[in-house]
Amino acid sequence: MRPLRCAALVTGLVAVSVLAGCSAPGGDTPQIVVTTNILGDVVGEIAGDEAEVTTLMKPNADPHSFEISAQEASLMESADLIVSNGLGLEEGLQQHLDRAVAAGAPALAAGDRIAVLDYTSEEAAGTPDPHFWTDPERMIDVVDAVESDIAGIPGVDAAAVGANADAYRAELEALDQEMVEAFAAIPEDRRALVTNHHVFGYLADRFGFRVVGAVIPGGTTLAAPSAADLRDLASAIEEADVPTIFAESSQPDRLVQVLASEAGVEVDVAELFTESLTEPGEGADTYLTMMRTNTERIADGLSS
Amino acid sequence: MKLSKSLVALPLAVACIGLAGCSAGAGPADDDGAPAGDGHGEIEGAAEVAEPPLGLISVDAAGAVGLLDLLNEEQSELGTVGAPLGLATDGRYAFVSTDDGVEVVDSGRWTWDHVDHFHYYRADARIAGTVEGEGPAEISTGMLSTAGSTGVFFAGSGEAVLLDNAALADGEVAERFRIDVGAEDGLVAPLGEGALVSDGDSLVFHDAEGEATGTTVPCSDAAGSITTRVALAVGCADGAILATATDGDVELEHVPFPDGAGSDNGSDAGAVTAFAARKGRPTVAGLTEQRGFWLLDTREREWTRVDTDQALERVVAVDDEDGHVVALDADGRVRVFTAETGDEIAATEPLLDEVTDSVSLTVDDQRAYLNDPSAGVVHEIDYAGDARVARTLETSPAPDFVAEVGR
Repeated sequence: MRPLRCAALVTGLVAVSVLAGCSAPGGDTPQIVVTTNILGDVVGEIAGDEAEVTTLMKPNADPHSFEISAQEASLMESADLIVSNGLGLEEGLQQHLDRAVAAGAPALAAGDRIAVLDYTSEEAAGTPDPHFWTDPERMIDVVDAVESDIAGIPGVDAAAVGANADAYRAELEALDQEMVEAFAAIPEDRRALVTNHHVFGYLADRFGFRVVGAVIPGGTTLAAPSAADLRDLASAIEEADVPTIFAESSQPDRLVQVLASEAGVEVDVAELFTESLTEPGEGADTYLTMMRTNTERIADGLSS
Repeated sequence: MKLSKSLVALPLAVACIGLAGCSAGAGPADDDGAPAGDGHGEIEGAAEVAEPPLGLISVDAAGAVGLLDLLNEEQSELGTVGAPLGLATDGRYAFVSTDDGVEVVDSGRWTWDHVDHFHYYRADARIAGTVEGEGPAEISTGMLSTAGSTGVFFAGSGEAVLLDNAALADGEVAERFRIDVGAEDGLVAPLGEGALVSDGDSLVFHDAEGEATGTTVPCSDAAGSITTRVALAVGCADGAILATATDGDVELEHVPFPDGAGSDNGSDAGAVTAFAARKGRPTVAGLTEQRGFWLLDTREREWTRVDTDQALERVVAVDDEDGHVVALDADGRVRVFTAETGDEIAATEPLLDEVTDSVSLTVDDQRAYLNDPSAGVVHEIDYAGDARVARTLETSPAPDFVAEVGR
């Protein structure tokens, strides 16, 4: 399968997507503001018709660096609930979160409600890894927390929220089971992600993968490579003994070619979705789709 | 072509990249106080791309400006500025000193450093505008091209100017402040919301409005500044000042040269005249007028002296796992050292007939770039692979000055 790179065209600083309901924010409907689009999708499933969910980060964006408008900042301050990822993910947004909390807005940082792992890479070792969503079990913990906080908003029908949460938990459990089964088909000694993606620590921990961090030679190296340029990556691939690596590269075909011709390593290159949902039809328009696409790419890549 | 080397001081300090306790946003360019809407990585009209969109801005002697894409070798013309007297870059903009001041060329290519990973952006390249002043200009850059500031000191008029990077990213040259320092030698280096300004004897922190604060530290003959993800470093006659600004709290720390190595005590080490490193890396190389070079680890706050058999013209620390340091000698050879031992591990044949002021040596995590104005080419060197010349690139216009961008 040809990995798709979703062109992350950034077209504007303002990114409001109203997921539930279609009226302008305000009125009597409880207002929930969510920072990342992954959590926006999850919270929207739980809130259903009981609240209006505004997601600040639009599709194909970078959770670390997106910015919000003054209107969105003020919407946060008057929100009935703010849901953020936490653990340092929303760097550029933290000041607005702090301000909204100081203004009295109830806030839920998902990272505070899960068992946190630390990064293992050298440079960032010891700091908490915010990318918990790569493990659906941890997302279930987040659903529990979100359910209880939404149910506590005055005017919300707690039973309806409970039913939504039950239904979504069942979907997550089904996803989790699918992942267990898909990964079980991968020979155990091949359960290694040779990757320059930095978000798969939780998935690896949950499903028994090794993450082999690798520097992927860039375009200037691929333009005039030597065997020495490929030594680290080639030895990582050989040591992991995998038929596919999971890399973000602007020239994946050239990388495959160069690895074969310069290092004698035959390997496929596949890309995974990492930190943002996509537009509909691009492979990761919901959390469940994103996880299923990644699961399929990993299972196909390592089983072949 | 290996030459024996000796390490004078502090082998322990070499290439020690702190492993623990680093966190995103700890650098001096910390932007917590920025108002809502400041470009912080994401910029209107920019696309996120999968890898550093590396390129070379070239400026010829007449001021014609072009951009060579290093990934596909496509060349584009960007327009014309005044005849260049000098060029500095932060890895996105080329700051070209001319008789009119400093002309800012925006390559539209940059990398955003999140410590544990990076994001890469591409937008349209353009000539953004002119910072008027009487040159020559000394430029000091920060960590992020989309936030924080860039310092311009005009030696001709003795003015210190602080540019707003967020405005630059929007294509507008906006000055946060312009103050009269009244000295011919000087430096203005961005720090937090303000800047460190040299008055000849000391460094004084000026706030965002340009007002001098009481935060000051002695630093005679300030020369050379560099921003790493840990701190801003400014060279002084007796060592360096490391400066950090966290949530508006400015700290200035003096890191003296090790005993017996300073310029005032008759030893042959010499003060730093320029710092250079792979963008953002905590260990930086310091050029001196004597033989050898300094390494300053801004995280461990330690100097290491590496001796060489002759004086160097340029020296840049890669600060990678192998501690590569890439240098240019007076014979036009690129020489590669390891920080750990100070040993020379590879060298090229002479690549330049003459090392003029317009020659620059830049490194990224894979290659080094050296412009050869007289031959009209840029040498791309695989410093980790036996100093192999990987490509010899022709730029249009000719590379009288170059800036490697996309970093």
